[in-house]
Amino acid sequence: MKAATVFKSWEFMLAVVLVLELLVLGMINPAFLNIENLLFSTSDFAHVIIAAIGLTLIIMTGGIDISGVSIMGLASIVLGLAFIAGVPIGFAVIIALGVGIAAGAFNGAVVANTDVNPLIVTLATLFLYAGIATGLPTLLDMLGFQAYGAGGFEAYQYEGITGLPKEFTWIGSGRIGWVPMPLVVALLLAAVATWVMLFTRFGRYLKLIGVSPAVAHFTGVPIKRTLVTVYAMNGFAVAVAGLVLTAYLGSARSDLGSEALLSIITAVVLGGSSIYGGQGSVIGTLLAGFVLGFMRQGLLALGISSDVVPVIIGLLLVGSVALRIGLAKLSTARANRAAFAAERLAVEGNGGRS
Amino acid sequence: MKKILKSREFLVLALLVVMILAVSTVNAAVLRPLTLINIVNSSLFLILIAIGQMFVVMTRGIDVSVGAIAGLSAVIFGMALNAGIPLPLAMVCALLTGLVCGCVNAAGIVFVGIPPIIMTLGTLGAYRGLMRVLTGGSWIESIPQSIKTLAVTRYMSVPLMVWAVAALIIVLAILLSRIKAVRNFYAVGDNREGAYLLGINVRATEFTAYALAGLFSGAAAIVFTGQIGFVPMQTGSGQELKAIAAVVLGGVSLMGGTGTIWSAVIGALFLTTVDSMMIFLKVPGSWNNAVAGAVLLAIVVFDYLIRRAVRNRQLAMRAAEMHHAEQDHDTGFQPREAVR
Amino acid sequence: MTATANPVPLVALRDVWKVFESVTVLRGVDIDIRPGRVLALLGGNGSGKSTIVKIISGAYQPTAGTIEVQGTPAVLAHPSDAHAKGIYMVPQEPHIFPNLSVMENLTAGLKGDTAANRARAKAAAHEIGLDVDFDSPGGELSIASQQLVEIVRGLLRNARVLILDEPTSSLTRREVANLARQMEQLKARGIGLLFISHRLNEVLELTDDTQVLRDGRIVLNAPSSELTTDMLVEAMLPADFSAPAEEVSLRERRTHDHSVLSVRNLSSRLFRDVSFEVYPGEVLGISGVVGSGRTELAEAIYGIDPFVSGEVHIAGKAAPRRSPQISQAMGLSYVPEDRHAHGIFLALPSSQTVTAGLLSLGRSRFTQRDHEKLLTQDFIQRLRIKLSSPFQVARTLSGGNQQKVVLAKTLAPGPRVIILDEPTRGIDARARQDVYRTIRELTAEGVGVVVISSEVGEIAEVADRVMVMRRGRLVALPGGPKTVEQISAATFAANGAAAA
Repeated sequence: MKAATVFKSWEFMLAVVLVLELLVLGMINPAFLNIENLLFSTSDFAHVIIAAIGLTLIIMTGGIDISGVSIMGLASIVLGLAFIAGVPIGFAVIIALGVGIAAGAFNGAVVANTDVNPLIVTLATLFLYAGIATGLPTLLDMLGFQAYGAGGFEAYQYEGITGLPKEFTWIGSGRIGWVPMPLVVALLLAAVATWVMLFTRFGRYLKLIGVSPAVAHFTGVPIKRTLVTVYAMNGFAVAVAGLVLTAYLGSARSDLGSEALLSIITAVVLGGSSIYGGQGSVIGTLLAGFVLGFMRQGLLALGISSDVVPVIIGLLLVGSVALRIGLAKLSTARANRAAFAAERLAVEGNGGRS
Repeated sequence: MKKILKSREFLVLALLVVMILAVSTVNAAVLRPLTLINIVNSSLFLILIAIGQMFVVMTRGIDVSVGAIAGLSAVIFGMALNAGIPLPLAMVCALLTGLVCGCVNAAGIVFVGIPPIIMTLGTLGAYRGLMRVLTGGSWIESIPQSIKTLAVTRYMSVPLMVWAVAALIIVLAILLSRIKAVRNFYAVGDNREGAYLLGINVRATEFTAYALAGLFSGAAAIVFTGQIGFVPMQTGSGQELKAIAAVVLGGVSLMGGTGTIWSAVIGALFLTTVDSMMIFLKVPGSWNNAVAGAVLLAIVVFDYLIRRAVRNRQLAMRAAEMHHAEQDHDTGFQPREAVR
Repeated sequence: MTATANPVPLVALRDVWKVFESVTVLRGVDIDIRPGRVLALLGGNGSGKSTIVKIISGAYQPTAGTIEVQGTPAVLAHPSDAHAKGIYMVPQEPHIFPNLSVMENLTAGLKGDTAANRARAKAAAHEIGLDVDFDSPGGELSIASQQLVEIVRGLLRNARVLILDEPTSSLTRREVANLARQMEQLKARGIGLLFISHRLNEVLELTDDTQVLRDGRIVLNAPSSELTTDMLVEAMLPADFSAPAEEVSLRERRTHDHSVLSVRNLSSRLFRDVSFEVYPGEVLGISGVVGSGRTELAEAIYGIDPFVSGEVHIAGKAAPRRSPQISQAMGLSYVPEDRHAHGIFLALPSSQTVTAGLLSLGRSRFTQRDHEKLLTQDFIQRLRIKLSSPFQVARTLSGGNQQKVVLAKTLAPGPRVIILDEPTRGIDARARQDVYRTIRELTAEGVGVVVISSEVGEIAEVADRVMVMRRGRLVALPGGPKTVEQISAATFAANGAAAA
């Protein structure tokens, strides 16, 4: 019971940390607290939050998918190439999302049907998808597709594809009221994912599999189907993240988001998900994503070198897990002491042992 | 002998040879000795960090910070050299840096109980950030000639560094087969609880594994700096994943308990060779990662299928055994526990 | 037996307590292991035997109390501390490194010169009759050989105290006889032995002293020669145990028209040609020892493992494809043998285990807290589960309450037929009675029940009809309910005199 209360309050602790962080940064530099700036700055890290939401669902099952960052680039370049090849932008978005879902589902299919560690499966596909993303332009040339402009698709192998239409870049740079679109997308996905986790059968399956795949199997949980679906959902989420970032930067690139892996996993773990599965919350991930994102913004605004940022993120990741381990140990020890005291009292009260 | 032929290392080595021969039918230049030597030369860095990674994976752990440790060690190495510290002493500095980084990982994982992937992911960021902080984000150049000469010196047209690493590997292979404590790595990875109950110091074993991973990353940093003559900020970046891929490819099971130093060496050689072969096949370099990923995936899935087949055969054998037992009127047979 | 004259025990526990996850497992235990004597430690599952073993072997530390080694208090913080003090445990499930060679398995963790260790290991292995290829991988050893590997490990550590945790549970008769000889030899060397078992006659034959453990307390301590099996049984049974009244009237009212579960000529690798029917409102008891194929049969019927040939009909319908999900949808539920590994979600609120079985049947409203709470409260009352709230984390419940939660999970979908595999393993007397009562209630509702158990007394108590599983074959005992003696004779036939 004690442990559960601690975990329940984890999101609350994160919210407190977030508020404190904003206050401290605001005190040092009042300009930082300008609501409009604050909201707008989320566009720099919204893609991390979106990807982290997808990963949260997978980590719930005790799995992991590190290939997400490659799928981001893959979705981005697929969109760009489709656009160059003359596909209408709406259709290009659908293709890119479809590729993301397929890539995720492939991961899930391998994880579900073999006993190979998900980390290794997705390590392999991290390379595979990144390789496909960088190789795709030359492949299209070889296959004889026609691109607009000279130099064929290969010209875009390392250069970003720019000139994407306004309707698309609006997803990255537009806003609804004061709220920038990337944040809208992130919040929307967070809401959907929270609903899935808390109120659907599927969400409960994720947790049951994460706590014990064997018990889940004996209980009749459709494990394979659930795993393939959740990896596909993550594929969708990271593809969305890739497209949002593409729209924000106005350039489709195959290596997009490749440096985000550490931030994404940190957001998930700092958000309270256990890497061993069965425990986690989308709200926690969302809050942790904000804490991390604003911290980076704040440090930069304070003129602190961006070089220090990964050091701090790394320490946060390790520190938060160490803290949680410590809290759990404390509460178990306390509960055991209480139980022992009660039992001993009962025995002695009954006039000793037989 | 039969055992060697059946081993995963041999399978990958055979694949490697087949791949080179196949490519040679398209481009005979592959078979030139100099080409092969150069491939080996360029795989030294990966071989070294893969050996470090091997110790960790053998104990059922994982270390994704080895690339960052190599980067940080390279920076310290370069700074030490530029500060006028003599080469041998600078090498010690690099190795020490690696060792300390490894020990930090080990402390968090072994003493605090942080999951390895989380701990080393955290230090991956920290070490890489530290690297930038130390250098202010700029490359370390104008490194003294001494280390560069070391890298270009060749005996019998084979670079000195290749000789050095080869000697290291052979010495290590001999040491690993002689030192009894080495078996503890296998025991801990194979059956952690059993190792603990047998009185093996599980914590010390795990600690050593991460420390060694750091130490070998430090060694890799020396090779890297010597070979390219400066320290770019990307040093070691992405190599941690390649190191894991290499050892898994070479046959170190992520479930612990298996693997040899040859797994790391052959796995690393294979991945580097794939990259080189792409050039000879005139496949754009952009496909390197895709091929490496596909090979890794194919190998681990293939490995799973083989293991499943073996398990099924064992199950059938147990069943047959049971059948005999019935005819012998003998009891006490426990197929269930034996199989699982 | 001059050993009794020796006043200083090799190892003694003094008022030892142990608490896990808020559950008190040991309540002030005293134990003495003396040189040259074999002490039997008896007790039902969950009585705390294995905890004592782990405390003596240094794997656990007591919450309170002291351990004395040769009269002086000692701290055994690590198994290697215990080894250094001459204590070695031969675990029930041998710790084998499947990927290491047999020789490496024998010498793992030994200090000193490798060659010398190998020579000693070879000698010790030979002495104890372990004749296998020392270079083959450990994973290929039979269970009996694995156990011998563990005994050799103990001998190699010059153990003065050897703990044998259920050493005979998986040995053949010949191997048990061999073990008895080894034990005599060890005793002659002045080694003290702690012998854990639940086979009563073996205990009386092979040991010098007996202590019986119940609910974490020592309830009987006497020389084995002064004891009888009846006395042991009585000591192990809970204080409030009383044989329930037969509800004959209920049993006679049954109509055996259509079976709810029909198994025809089912075969897999671990059982062959099994056929039986279960009718509504009856309890079919399947008696069988570990390794007889009973659990494999249940798992195959339920859809965990595939079977090679045969048919399963649930409520009259054939099931072409088999999976737990399909079985549940057709009305078959299963309470697995291994509660922690297969039955309960330990880390979750109990309510989430209770509703888990409903989800795959499409009733997703039970993911909502209110519905979940109501359903769980229903079962809390019906099964008399002791919970502080429906959301209490399952890990913190006692074994009996955990088993009731699993039972609730299996009953929630409203099965037509239910298979219970070792339904009362490791749970206290009251919970046991609650489980039996629930079984009777189910039969009254017309549910067909299969109870699989290695406890003959349990089968005799609950079953209307008895079948015996032996080495993959299922044989019916003709007629109605059976006495303990009748069932034992059939179950252990191959173990005893019948093995000619």
